[in-house]
Amino acid sequence: MDFFDNIVRLLTTEKYMDMIYQGLETTLTVSIFAAILGLLIGTVVAIVGISGNSKWMLLPKLICKIYVTVIRGTPMALQLFIMAYAIFAIRGFPQEITAIVAFGINSGAYVSESIRAGILSVDIGQTEAGRALGLSGATTMIRIVIPQAIKNVIPAIGNELIALIKETSIVSMIGMYDLTQAAKIIGSGTNMASYIVPMSVAACFYLAIVYILTFGIKFIEKRLRAGDKR
Amino acid sequence: MISVKKVTKKFGKLTVLRGVDCEIKKGEQVAIIGPSGSGKSTLLRCMNLLEIPSGGEVWLEESLISAPDPYLHPEIIKESSTYKTLTKNGAEDACELIVNERKLKRYEGLGFSGALKSYTAEHGIGINSARQKMGMVFQHFNLFNNMTVIQNLTLAPVQLKLKTKEEAEAKAMELLRRIGLEDKRDEYPSKLSGGQKQRVAIIRALAMDPDVILFDEPTSALDPEMVGEVLDLMKSLAKEGMTMVIVTHEMGFAREVADRVLFIDEGVIKEEGPPSEIFDNPKNPRLKDFLSKVL
Ligand SMILES: Nc1ncnc2c1ncn2[C@@H]1O[C@H](COP(=O)(O)OP(=O)(O)O)[C@@H](O)[C@H]1O
Ligand SMILES: [Mg+2]
Repeated sequence: MDFFDNIVRLLTTEKYMDMIYQGLETTLTVSIFAAILGLLIGTVVAIVGISGNSKWMLLPKLICKIYVTVIRGTPMALQLFIMAYAIFAIRGFPQEITAIVAFGINSGAYVSESIRAGILSVDIGQTEAGRALGLSGATTMIRIVIPQAIKNVIPAIGNELIALIKETSIVSMIGMYDLTQAAKIIGSGTNMASYIVPMSVAACFYLAIVYILTFGIKFIEKRLRAGDKR
Repeated sequence: MISVKKVTKKFGKLTVLRGVDCEIKKGEQVAIIGPSGSGKSTLLRCMNLLEIPSGGEVWLEESLISAPDPYLHPEIIKESSTYKTLTKNGAEDACELIVNERKLKRYEGLGFSGALKSYTAEHGIGINSARQKMGMVFQHFNLFNNMTVIQNLTLAPVQLKLKTKEEAEAKAMELLRRIGLEDKRDEYPSKLSGGQKQRVAIIRALAMDPDVILFDEPTSALDPEMVGEVLDLMKSLAKEGMTMVIVTHEMGFAREVADRVLFIDEGVIKEEGPPSEIFDNPKNPRLKDFLSKVL
């Protein structure tokens, strides 16, 4: 059949495969670094959000609240455009960094909500026991609460990560060459003149990444739960 | 050891403590009894500031651990702008008037805030260092679920640099041997029975070499067959002269172990005395009523 012949043709043509790999590299780079940035931002925002109502925290709390509301209330593509055409509108500025920052900031807002819920799900008695021993709030948080919150948070963070990887496909809208864009170019008239084949191949790559990630998260979850069956 | 001075506590509109005064002396075992919801836990938790008192002060030895309460200090009240206005207008006992009618406003001028600050600077002690000397044992154990038994026992002493890791582990093993659980050192709390958890929680407090331990209904969450092992450990601590404050429903235990019993009802101490007086010769009608229900 034509379709399968063309799949084989794509997979065996070095030029096309190079394009796929190049796109894949962008997709993975942006996803991984944006995920790390999002995790960092999300943790800080979550901790600020649940900290006590002392007067020093009022302004940071307000800022975090506005951040989460604005990011979650506006489209990702728009955030990416603002980052690319307004904030980092500097000639020669690496597009990858623009995308990492845009997706990191976006992901941070969602991750912070998951982490917040995860921290709040840890029994308040754990914090009280830590504080009653004379440990500081920060030490109690870092040594006792967060390690337990992580277990509750891993599934939600995993879903967020998977959503992030798929969402990065819109970087082609600011002219970046990711997996989706590679498929589009391979399908164009100057190359294979058929979109269904490269798009299917790209879809398989996305599926593979998501599958591996899901498996990895399940594994980590299992490891973390070992030794504390409640 | 611990002085509770005119402590009040409100949760929003609900007033739980209405001015509690009590003194816990070194080497004393004090039991706190009273109906459910009367404020026993709240009082205990005010002692180590897990609850911040709404008024009054808590002292550990010579150190103030809560915020200073201006109503307890005439010399601070005299710095307030309310006092100055009142005396200017010829009020004679301005100080008494202010205390009785609780007239201080949110802001009383720089002199007043300065007086509060310097009082804290002179008598105050950081809450974290105060808590190192005050162990606490909770109804629901609250062992750290993400740590093994030995990690539970050594975390605080090592983090707070009271002991090296080796010293802390040696001490932890000694305490584990005392309760016969040395083979559980590397288990997670989820693998322990309720009685074992609570005994580990008690030695976690002991691992800090505290001056006093606060117990909030340490046996209420246990299956009946495990109550004995926890009470036995507490009795042995009492024999060694550990200062203990124990909120409890175990009247037999209170009678046997306590030097003094406080009966709390409606947010105040309604009666206090040695167990023989409290249990055999109660005077307050609410206490009589309470005892008739629980004994
Ligand atoms: N954190 C809190 N917020 C609001 N109300 C509380 C809080 N803690 C305790 N209370 C209320 O204070 C009262 C006394 O509680 P507590 O001191 O736990 O009583 P006890 O230990 O004597 O049973 C109860 O009515 C309880 O509902
Ligand atoms: Mg209680």
